[in-house]
Amino acid sequence: MTTENRARMTITEQGDALVLAGSIDETAALHELPARARNGRLVLDLAGITFINSLGVRDWIRMQSMAQKAGLAVELRRVAEPVVHQLNMIIATRGSAAVTSFFAPYACDSCGREESLLVDAVANAERLSRLDPPPMVCPECKSAMAFNDFPERYFSFLTV
Amino acid sequence: MVPASSILIVHPDRKTQRTVQRILGVTGHRIDVADDLDQAMRLVAHSQPVLVVIDGALLSEGAPEAPVMGRLVAAAKARGAEACMTLLGSSAAARIPSILDLGAVTNLLVHPMPVLAEELTVTAHKLIHGDLFGAEKYLLWGTELHEVVVSRGSQRPHIVAELAERVRGLGQSARVASMAMLVADELISNAVHNAPVDAAGNHYRRDLPRDQELELDERHQVRLRWGCDARYFAIEVTDRFGSLDRDTILLALGKNDVREDGGGAGMGISLAYRSCDHLVFNLAPSARTEIIALIDVRYPPTERMPASSYNVFVEKR
Repeated sequence: MTTENRARMTITEQGDALVLAGSIDETAALHELPARARNGRLVLDLAGITFINSLGVRDWIRMQSMAQKAGLAVELRRVAEPVVHQLNMIIATRGSAAVTSFFAPYACDSCGREESLLVDAVANAERLSRLDPPPMVCPECKSAMAFNDFPERYFSFLTV
Repeated sequence: MVPASSILIVHPDRKTQRTVQRILGVTGHRIDVADDLDQAMRLVAHSQPVLVVIDGALLSEGAPEAPVMGRLVAAAKARGAEACMTLLGSSAAARIPSILDLGAVTNLLVHPMPVLAEELTVTAHKLIHGDLFGAEKYLLWGTELHEVVVSRGSQRPHIVAELAERVRGLGQSARVASMAMLVADELISNAVHNAPVDAAGNHYRRDLPRDQELELDERHQVRLRWGCDARYFAIEVTDRFGSLDRDTILLALGKNDVREDGGGAGMGISLAYRSCDHLVFNLAPSARTEIIALIDVRYPPTERMPASSYNVFVEKR
């Protein structure tokens, strides 16, 4: 095997959000995030997160705890699938954060394409509370796509 | 010639009884069948089971049979039984927490019932013959297993990233690659930092920062093997300490949350279990620990079981 690097987590500012990308692991400087909150809000864009391990989970929980103690309102935007899986598996990772949008797996029965698509959690709040995935259109063949996981499992992070 | 020892099946459903009986009959052992735990207790008193296979529904929280099950396992062990194996069907997700809480179920197989041949046969053969090690047992004949030896702690992220690329290169989905990454990362991290123990049993590398470089001598090196037979993607991680024990594993599997100071073997094992379809622990105490994670690549997520199987095998000396 060659030894290509796993992408370390990067933090960049974009509008009112801090955009995180790469891996949340033992090298990710999550503890720096609360100090970069603006006007009492810590807005994190997580679309670029590709990986999170148990050490990253531990630091994520600590970061959430720091933010809570500092009285910050935490908003998670465009949450990538690997982070959604952790939010579902480890309840403490949810903290008091509000998830406003997240990526979810869809598959097209017609052409077989699988895609991770962005779901607006605010606009679809009522539907999601019924564990009813919003309809999506296949970007390739324009057919209706089906949600590609168990709704009761994948949306469980929205219930607490 | 039929051996004197037997396999005991405890399940109320006749069709499942017959299916399991047919599958396990190939081991050559006499098969005893009980409809319930009381009948099983009477059978155990007059037999020498090498294996007890129990319907998982009998072990659920609040089930009146649960206390009897504890006595049955104890009685079977006293008569020489190797392990308690539980079968679960579509109700698996709801039942697993209470089964894990029992702390006595060393082998849990989750599968649409009553078809369970592959997992049941492999598990039974391993328990009966004591031949535990190797991911080959779960893959089709001829499947190539690739091997990497981890000789420095800092190799972990690179090896895991490379593994994910190889998974994608095999045409597997991003979901499978993501699961493989997480499982490999947790198991290697566990083998490098949690497995090493000194003579007094102290885990002397457990609290070292995970981003600190560690040169691994031969004893501390960790072996990663992986392969795919178009049914399962298998990841096998082996250390040479054999310090992981059955009780720690069963406790970790039941863990569904983490404290702020979390981490450690428990958290990694718990995440690995929830990120694969079948997690197998092969333990040779004080010699080696081999953990095999199987990711089912045949089905889309919606057609897979909503819970995972596990096995804990301990080598006899």
